[in-house]
Amino acid sequence: MRALPLLTRVLRAPESMRTLDAGAWELLLRQAGDADLGATLALLADEHGFLAQLAAPVRRRLGWARTAWERHAQAVRFEVQQVRRALAGTGLPLILLKGTAYVAAGLPAAAGRLFSDIDILVPKTALDEVESRLMQNGWASNHHDAYDQRYYREWMHELPPLQHMRRATVIDVHHAILPETAAVRPDPARLRAAARALPGAPDLQVLAPCDMVLHSAVHLFSEGEYDHGLRDLFDLHRLLCHFGATEPGFWAALPARAAELSLGRPLFYALRYAMRLLGTPVPGASLAAARAGRPPRALLALMDALFDSALRPPHPSCAGAVDPLFKGMLYIRGNWLRMPPLMLSRHLFHKAFITRRATTQV
Amino acid sequence: MTSSPIWRLAPGQRLQHRCWEGECVLYNDLSGDTHLLDEFALAVLQQLAGAPQPVAALAAAFESEGATPEDDAALFDTILADLAALHLIDTLPC
Amino acid sequence: MLTVAALGQPAVAARLRGRGLRLQTGPFITCIRSASPALAAALGRMYADYPVMGEDISADFDVLLRRPRGLRRLVKPQVYFHYDGMEPFQPLPLAQIYPMFEWAMNWCVSSHAHSWLVIHAAVVEKEGAAVILPAPPGSGKSTLCAALVARGWRLLSDELTLVRLDDGRIDPVPRPVSLKNGSIDVIRAWAPHAHLSPPVTDTLKGTVAHMRAPADSVARAREPATPAWIVFPQWRAGAPAEMVPVPQARAHLRLAENAFNYSLLGAAGFASAARLIEQTRTFDFSYGALDDAMAVFEALLAQRR
Repeated sequence: MRALPLLTRVLRAPESMRTLDAGAWELLLRQAGDADLGATLALLADEHGFLAQLAAPVRRRLGWARTAWERHAQAVRFEVQQVRRALAGTGLPLILLKGTAYVAAGLPAAAGRLFSDIDILVPKTALDEVESRLMQNGWASNHHDAYDQRYYREWMHELPPLQHMRRATVIDVHHAILPETAAVRPDPARLRAAARALPGAPDLQVLAPCDMVLHSAVHLFSEGEYDHGLRDLFDLHRLLCHFGATEPGFWAALPARAAELSLGRPLFYALRYAMRLLGTPVPGASLAAARAGRPPRALLALMDALFDSALRPPHPSCAGAVDPLFKGMLYIRGNWLRMPPLMLSRHLFHKAFITRRATTQV
Repeated sequence: MTSSPIWRLAPGQRLQHRCWEGECVLYNDLSGDTHLLDEFALAVLQQLAGAPQPVAALAAAFESEGATPEDDAALFDTILADLAALHLIDTLPC
Repeated sequence: MLTVAALGQPAVAARLRGRGLRLQTGPFITCIRSASPALAAALGRMYADYPVMGEDISADFDVLLRRPRGLRRLVKPQVYFHYDGMEPFQPLPLAQIYPMFEWAMNWCVSSHAHSWLVIHAAVVEKEGAAVILPAPPGSGKSTLCAALVARGWRLLSDELTLVRLDDGRIDPVPRPVSLKNGSIDVIRAWAPHAHLSPPVTDTLKGTVAHMRAPADSVARAREPATPAWIVFPQWRAGAPAEMVPVPQARAHLRLAENAFNYSLLGAAGFASAARLIEQTRTFDFSYGALDDAMAVFEALLAQRR
């Protein structure tokens, strides 16, 4: 494994920010800006008590990123209220996913986290009603290509993204955490059954701690795009550290739940790369139990190389000569996990050529 | 619900505002929007900030000259609906 | 203090090609990298008086203007603007590298500098009072700004008014004043001694040239100003010069519409705009002749004395 980039080292050990010189700060801030982690650095420095001691220009730049994030968090909270209001009549609990869940639940993983869409989970049987209520309240589909509509509705695990006509915010309505077409998928009913209500809001829920971690692992290790790979790995790290410290029996329950939901492979990767890159303190017993999800040795060696590249900050200072090839392989791999090979090549072909041509005609 | 709804300032609204010559600008803490309101609308908001109340109590707090009670009710209903649409106020859950 | 002129053109070009030329403009240090000799020459002319910094203070922005690699270089000369590994703009023809540089510098500030309310407006100052000129396109703001500067008003900025969130004063970020199409000739005639860059044609904004900032404005780049007036200019052929007051609540909203980060700043943006409206008087200003405009602005100053 190559030496860790500066940003990765800092996320692994935030105290190391205290001793960086002007040149190192410049590089760190550039890497962080490109990875959307500027606000995260600001909040980490504050949390560790040395923000005030940093050089004035550095403090100022960190402040800019933090200001943008604070506004983002305000907007997310407002959006959640609007979604809640729109879906109040369904009688369904509203299960929040990913970044939306971190903000609503006040988790450490929310600190500095930027994201563009609101993500929710609803039963598949309720999709039509949910979509209809959202559209009555100002959200509309912006994927008009019939192929895209079909891609989402038949093959994926979510509705095509809906965009609010006035606020321009986007909501992704999921009915499962892996697509219909994936070979292995957890039963969403089990995730919904274990979901927990937020304090003071019985209609607002988030996934149970193990499930939240597993969803994050699935999202990172079977997605096609890794531009936010380091950020997503840092989410996993923070979730693991937080639940490890606050949730009784978490470390024992995690591999067991992964086995139950057939998510042993993503959990294996999650623990492996979080430990290697970010130093997550995973207990030995948990690691040993997670080995059940380990891939064959040759595949593991390839995955190590692929993810070592994909989980680096996207900034050019961290790029190596082979990186574009690796990222391409991971994109193919990501979609392969979600769609069978024949359908995959048709999808990629369509996405690459037909959608783009339509754009240039505009 | 048969009884009159109790209106209140939406939780989280601090009513940061400035008024100049009968017109006011107001910052909406929930949506992040800035609104242009007249002084009357702002006064209604400040009244609700003082205490949650039904529309009858609200109307009683304002003097009207020459309007009938029906006109008053219609006026307040409209203004409350507009302020609620902006997420500035809402009603207490029953 | 080391300036671009004192550094000397060979060293300026070498830094641009190498680890970067660190240029100070107002409160910001920008690390600029480019292999283009044309850009090096333009910076040497337009930024002669500006401070150059060492690597011991971290830069705020990192601007890379680079040509594409490979065969495309030969077929269609283009330049890309890279920022932190991203490309915020479409590439432009190589001939437009200097205007692209100026637009990139504006973008860096307007997209990131959230310690200020950043208004899309020119701002000039005289006798301790600053006038903010917000700038929807077609208003004639740049011509008016250049004209005032040529008549002794200090240039704080031609595009970016930085209003401090803590105390409401304006921090200068004086840079060359951008002029478009007809206003280039107008200013050439109005200010024959002003230094204008060679016009660049066929840009997205038409023909573009830049007027070098006066040395005095650059020398006073760290001296904040107190705002006294907000003036929305509108040039109309043959119009008499006329100032019409704008009601304050409306002025607040119009100011907000013209600020890049008003919404992003949330409650702090609201408070900053409100304070600005309370501290100043706001006008709509229509005019057809620059001489008339100058007289009106001098009259504003006279009322204060």
